[in-house]
Amino acid sequence: VKAFAYVKPAGEKQIVAALAVPGGRALPLAGGMDLLGLMKDYVAQPDRLVSVKALDASISKGAGGTLRIGAAVTLADFAAHADLRRLYPALTDAAAEVGTPQIRNAGTVGGNLNQRPRCWYFRNEEFNCLKKGGSRCFAVDGENQYHAIFGDGPCHIVHPSSLAVPAIALDARFRLLGPTGEREIAAAEYYQMPDRNLFGETVLGAGEILTHMILPAPGGTRAATYEVRFKQSHDWPLAMASVALSMQGQNVRAARVVLGAVAPIPWRSPAAEAALAGKRLSEQVAMEAADAAVAAAKPMSGNAYKVQIARTAVKRAILKASGIKVV
Amino acid sequence: VASWPPVADRSLIGKSIKRLDGPAKTQGSAKYAYDIARPGLLYGRLLGSPHPHARIKAIDLSAAEKLPGVRAVLALIDPAAGEAAKVRYQGEEVAAVAAVTEETAEDAIRLIKVDYEVLPHLATIEQAMRPEAPLVFPKGNVSQVSERVDGNVEDGLTKAAHVVEGLYSTQVQTHTSLETHGGVCEWDGEMLTAWVSTQAVHGARDGIAKALGVPQTNVRVIADYMGGGFGSKLGFDRQVVVAARLAKTAGAAVKMMLSRKEEHLVTGNRPSAFAKVKAAVDTAGKFVAFDAETWGTGGAGQGAGFAVPYPVYVFPNRRQRHRDVYINAGPQRAFRAPGHPQACFVTETVIDELADRMRIDPLELRMRNLQPPDATGVDAPNRQWRKYFPMGAEKIGWSRRHPTGDAAAGALKRGLGCAANIWAGSGNPQTRASCEILPDGSVTMRIGTQDIGTGTRTLVTMITAETMGLPIEAVHAAIGDTNHPFAPGSGGSITVGSVSPTVRVAAEAARNALFAKVAPTLGVEPTALAARGGRISVASDASKSLSWRDACKLLGTEPVTVQSQWEKGLSDVGTSGVQFADVEVDIETGITRVKKIVCVQDAGMIVDRLTAESQCIGGIIMGLGFALYEHRILDRNTAQMVNPNMEFYLLPGMSDIPEIDVTLVDQPDRGVVGLGEPPTISTAAAVANAVANAIGVRVRTLPLTPQAILSALEQERAGGTL
Repeated sequence: VKAFAYVKPAGEKQIVAALAVPGGRALPLAGGMDLLGLMKDYVAQPDRLVSVKALDASISKGAGGTLRIGAAVTLADFAAHADLRRLYPALTDAAAEVGTPQIRNAGTVGGNLNQRPRCWYFRNEEFNCLKKGGSRCFAVDGENQYHAIFGDGPCHIVHPSSLAVPAIALDARFRLLGPTGEREIAAAEYYQMPDRNLFGETVLGAGEILTHMILPAPGGTRAATYEVRFKQSHDWPLAMASVALSMQGQNVRAARVVLGAVAPIPWRSPAAEAALAGKRLSEQVAMEAADAAVAAAKPMSGNAYKVQIARTAVKRAILKASGIKVV
Repeated sequence: VASWPPVADRSLIGKSIKRLDGPAKTQGSAKYAYDIARPGLLYGRLLGSPHPHARIKAIDLSAAEKLPGVRAVLALIDPAAGEAAKVRYQGEEVAAVAAVTEETAEDAIRLIKVDYEVLPHLATIEQAMRPEAPLVFPKGNVSQVSERVDGNVEDGLTKAAHVVEGLYSTQVQTHTSLETHGGVCEWDGEMLTAWVSTQAVHGARDGIAKALGVPQTNVRVIADYMGGGFGSKLGFDRQVVVAARLAKTAGAAVKMMLSRKEEHLVTGNRPSAFAKVKAAVDTAGKFVAFDAETWGTGGAGQGAGFAVPYPVYVFPNRRQRHRDVYINAGPQRAFRAPGHPQACFVTETVIDELADRMRIDPLELRMRNLQPPDATGVDAPNRQWRKYFPMGAEKIGWSRRHPTGDAAAGALKRGLGCAANIWAGSGNPQTRASCEILPDGSVTMRIGTQDIGTGTRTLVTMITAETMGLPIEAVHAAIGDTNHPFAPGSGGSITVGSVSPTVRVAAEAARNALFAKVAPTLGVEPTALAARGGRISVASDASKSLSWRDACKLLGTEPVTVQSQWEKGLSDVGTSGVQFADVEVDIETGITRVKKIVCVQDAGMIVDRLTAESQCIGGIIMGLGFALYEHRILDRNTAQMVNPNMEFYLLPGMSDIPEIDVTLVDQPDRGVVGLGEPPTISTAAAVANAVANAIGVRVRTLPLTPQAILSALEQERAGGTL
């Protein structure tokens, strides 16, 4: 680990100010679950770490039935929060499956949403890949069994945050704070494809941080998340899906379907959403929506199997949201 | 002549005794090499080549030497050394640093400038076997064919009623010891003390002394505790020698423990195995032929062999032609039951396929083709599959097994499978131990073996206590130190067969020496005495006795000290066992969950039932890793490993471990037999057979990933594999 300076500002404004201090590269440090690994692997070599432990670590009610979740809330607290579990199980189910108990105890909501991709070419020091300023994506003709099946590159990472997927399905918003002030943005607008932002994954500007996730009032939405992981213990999803169904009687009025671990960003599927709109929920309808969700997938040389897994994740997320037996 | 006490008289042997060092390990007071702290300790790091094949043209250490906190820097390759100036796999050691912190050392190795002439490399067997392929070694990338033939395969095939042909393969598995390789080296003048994570303290001592060019007597190796080796820590290790050199240069102790990444890259692996098989069975369900073309790679190292068909079954006509293939990857090392899990998987899979062709129960087909009993119709005690298969079948509920392919509706398919194992194990006759009884009654058994996690320390203590008639707390076992008498490295499941008899002999000799001192006081001949229940008494008249403590007082100021050597008659050779698997496969995701493993296993006389069961459980968990998860993945274009970590090198975690039902068959009359390796052999084969039974499609390759299973199901839909 390259030697670094460490500062611990007292509040969010001071954090932003500390990140803006000129001279060297500064990075925000929350639970450290991702950043410390990046540093030990010499993928990130910051000169200064700015603790963001002083960010809001509470979950509070906002205007109009919204819920504001501070970025410093730990994943464990998030997953255990009674109101969240009751109103937004699609999110708490996802949080409860992140990593290990140790990771959930130290890792935060903000850290989970902003973690860097797990691509093994990105994470291993000796591969100078596109994302690290190199000239090629090694996954294209290399070992791509865990890589993207959507998105056309040029970098074929999959998005790693389990919380981002249901957050987008639920139409959450993120509050950002930077040197020029604060702004709010739809979660769906937060992540950026590699063709727009190769060296980062989000819209965050220099010195800008994510301070809150804001959840809309749940209304009559039925939502669920379904993750497919090979291992039961400590593993990443091969694919996951979150769905939010706005109901009108027995029929779906509108749906949001988002897939995770299949594209460089959480991958919304308008085709699956259209396949659900106006339909009465059934296993058949869930299967049709799942087929629609993966119809446009473009697997790489070694990850065609992920199409089937993504299809299953979508189908089962819909069934779970509908209260129909999943398997 | 030494013997074990009669079964009825045993107070400890054969019982379930908790591992004596369990509390120390769980509370953190047990010191592994990783935990050793010395005054002024420095931290060593190695610079490994990032290139899998390169010639080192120059090494510039100057920038590293100038980094504050760096105390020693060494080049490990001489650019002028011709062939020896080449690296042949990623991570091969090029230079080393010792510094005041681990982080400084990490930074320092990145300041070493190496001029590499990058050479063409080989990442896969297919690349290595191309005629125009660059050479890993001057002698070529493919070894001579070794051929083993029995009977006549062509004749056998003429009797075939059913033939199975297929290509079967298993992956490269790394040992992934929880404690990485390495140690701490400290010089006192010309004397070196090395705390090493090793499976062989004496072997490490000899290897380190030779590499350093110092007398063996100048080197003391200590391995009080070690965190797993599985065969990879049998040899002495380069990193310890480098640590000793750095320590000499820096004038301070140096700790050199490998990183997890280095552990995957350079400390060995189980070679891959490929087998192109043609096997046949006649109308009576007797195997008639097994013809195999086999190959595999142990990276830039020899020894990718495995023997098929697996010798549990009789194939009267068989032929195997094998070649090792070399690629630019870390060389293989012995890995828990070398060759066996691979051979077991290939053979047991072929047998299930033959049974499917015949449409008979695969267990019935196995029973018809087991190694025959002797002339009197009796199976040898280490060839008990005829008895164990029905025992395991009962435990797993084999009677509810459906034919291949679970016909139940829905995505979740259940299946059962089984496989058998065979292993040798023996004892090393050169093993020695010294036993001391002190005048205050305390007892020490010294033996230069090492406890690699199997419970050896507990066994040494138990056997000594049993022999002295003392409670287990009254005996101290001193192990893991070259200052103790010679015992062999812990490999090949020979530790228990070497150590237990030797300890028994030494303890008996010490006890008999004490009897000789005590006999006049009790007014009998020494041979009339017995040690039991903490007393020494006249065997025929228990009213004449002394407490152990009072008896030892008669020693005055002179302790009893004896040194003894291994004797035959206390151990045996060979084990047999079977395993059954019950699995559930989700055919919409390709994910397998193992629900239950049943293990029926013998290992001669069981010394400690609890540690023996634990050995089976550990072996099965490792077998599950081989079956489902573990896979060293090299980037096919660069020959660099993409998963040198525990994130994408998948290992079973707590939640992935099924119910494990172990039946240990005690054979108290046989003497001890090693159990380290047998329990890991059959797990993957049993799981693979259960998966095929569940999904109705045969996956002929390990690991059984979702990718492998979904691809096989897809292929089946496209035209079929069965």
